[in-house]
Amino acid sequence: MHRVSSDDRHDADFAAQNSVKADSSPDQTPPRRRTPRLSLIVVLPENHVVSPDVLTESLRGRVDRHVDVLVACAGQPTNLSALQRSIGEAQFLLAPAGTSTEALRELAIRQAPGDIVRLVSGARFDSQVTEQERFMTS
Amino acid sequence: MTSAISLSVIVPVCDAADTLDRALSAILASELNREDYELIVVDDSSSDTSPIVAARYADTVIRLTGRQAGPAYARNRGAELARGAVVAFVDADVMVRPGTLGGMLQLIETHAGLDAIAASHDRSPAAENFASLYWNLLVHYGEQRDVAGGSFTSGCVAVRRSALFSTGLYDEWRFATACLESVELGKRLERAGHGVLLCRDLQVTRLKRWSLLSVCREVWTRSALLTRSLGYHRTRELAPTEVVFTLSRAAAPAFALVSMVILCSAFLSEPGWPIAIAIAVAGSIIANSSLYLFFARARGLPFVMAAAPVHIFMQCVGGIALCIGRLMRDTVGDRLPDAATQAYAEVGLETWPPVPRPQ
Repeated sequence: MHRVSSDDRHDADFAAQNSVKADSSPDQTPPRRRTPRLSLIVVLPENHVVSPDVLTESLRGRVDRHVDVLVACAGQPTNLSALQRSIGEAQFLLAPAGTSTEALRELAIRQAPGDIVRLVSGARFDSQVTEQERFMTS
Repeated sequence: MTSAISLSVIVPVCDAADTLDRALSAILASELNREDYELIVVDDSSSDTSPIVAARYADTVIRLTGRQAGPAYARNRGAELARGAVVAFVDADVMVRPGTLGGMLQLIETHAGLDAIAASHDRSPAAENFASLYWNLLVHYGEQRDVAGGSFTSGCVAVRRSALFSTGLYDEWRFATACLESVELGKRLERAGHGVLLCRDLQVTRLKRWSLLSVCREVWTRSALLTRSLGYHRTRELAPTEVVFTLSRAAAPAFALVSMVILCSAFLSEPGWPIAIAIAVAGSIIANSSLYLFFARARGLPFVMAAAPVHIFMQCVGGIALCIGRLMRDTVGDRLPDAATQAYAEVGLETWPPVPRPQ
């Protein structure tokens, strides 16, 4: 489990920490790979509650395929501990409450290491992540 | 389970964060059910914040690293991930109208013989400076001419996924820059028996701000590439609305007029510069009369007065570039990737991002 930020931090600290991470991870010269690295960003708007069971079930198989999962939340979800327990491989990005969906997406993609990044809204998550997705290029 | 996605919208972007926001906002404002299409942005190694801007709106962001490989390459990477039965390619400096994408999708879905469709540029670009107005009107004039067939312009096109893959995607091997790659794809689709249409009623707005220098560079690149990579006569036959032909169309009558002036001057005892200039200007106006009338209707006489000398200059640039391109084709050959890329492709190196592939 990797906790990027928390609600009790000041906004400035939050921004500084994220900007450092954003500068450090995507700009590094990556080693040559044969296949693209894949990331899945689940964007949870403020006050949106997703069931840990649904999340786990939907992500099952994707983690096995070496997909980096990042759950971006605006504010701390009420069931954060349950979510963290249920998907141990996921990285959680906790932005301050009131962060807009667009800003949340921007922050999340700065953290995502993937060459191919899929962004899924939590509001559409239940239906969308159950679909067979073809991540790999031919 | 969601219903199948009917349309995949692919936006290649390279250092265009300033226009990307408006381009993606316009796509999301389309009169389409959001569940029916996916939005894929392919970032071609931008040095600005383009991938960050893309993340605000896109369902998928593909980040290509290393050297910038061009829009043909970026579009192909997006098409490989697309799930829609129809794939639309929208440039990062193009603003679609609310009905553009839906209209294209409807035309393809309702016409069995139609496999690819291109929208045309409207009369009013987002940038209101002279160079942008001139270039946009010139492109619009070329696209709106009443000719059989039509060119497959690159601003906003939609292709059946099956037709795109059976034809071999964009030519990422020869077209590493943003120029004529869609015209070439359109030609290939037609040769393969697929129906291709340039729809003059479905229009998009260009967001790019042109300068006279960038217009000049574009005319040069297009003209040289036409004769070097496509072959002038074959392209002229299949792509009559390409803007370069709008520029070069007046070349033959202009040449005839100049010859006539020279012949007449031989009979004059003292021709004088004012008379010679007046005859030359009159000849040029007659040769480009249809275009100038179009300019006058669209922007008025002052615009024509300003555009006429620029147009003559661009015709000269285009003419020289066409000759240079032909010369390069006969002496050096077609444009190819660098030696390292060719070597990697030959040995079949598997890497990400993938090595460009020849057709």
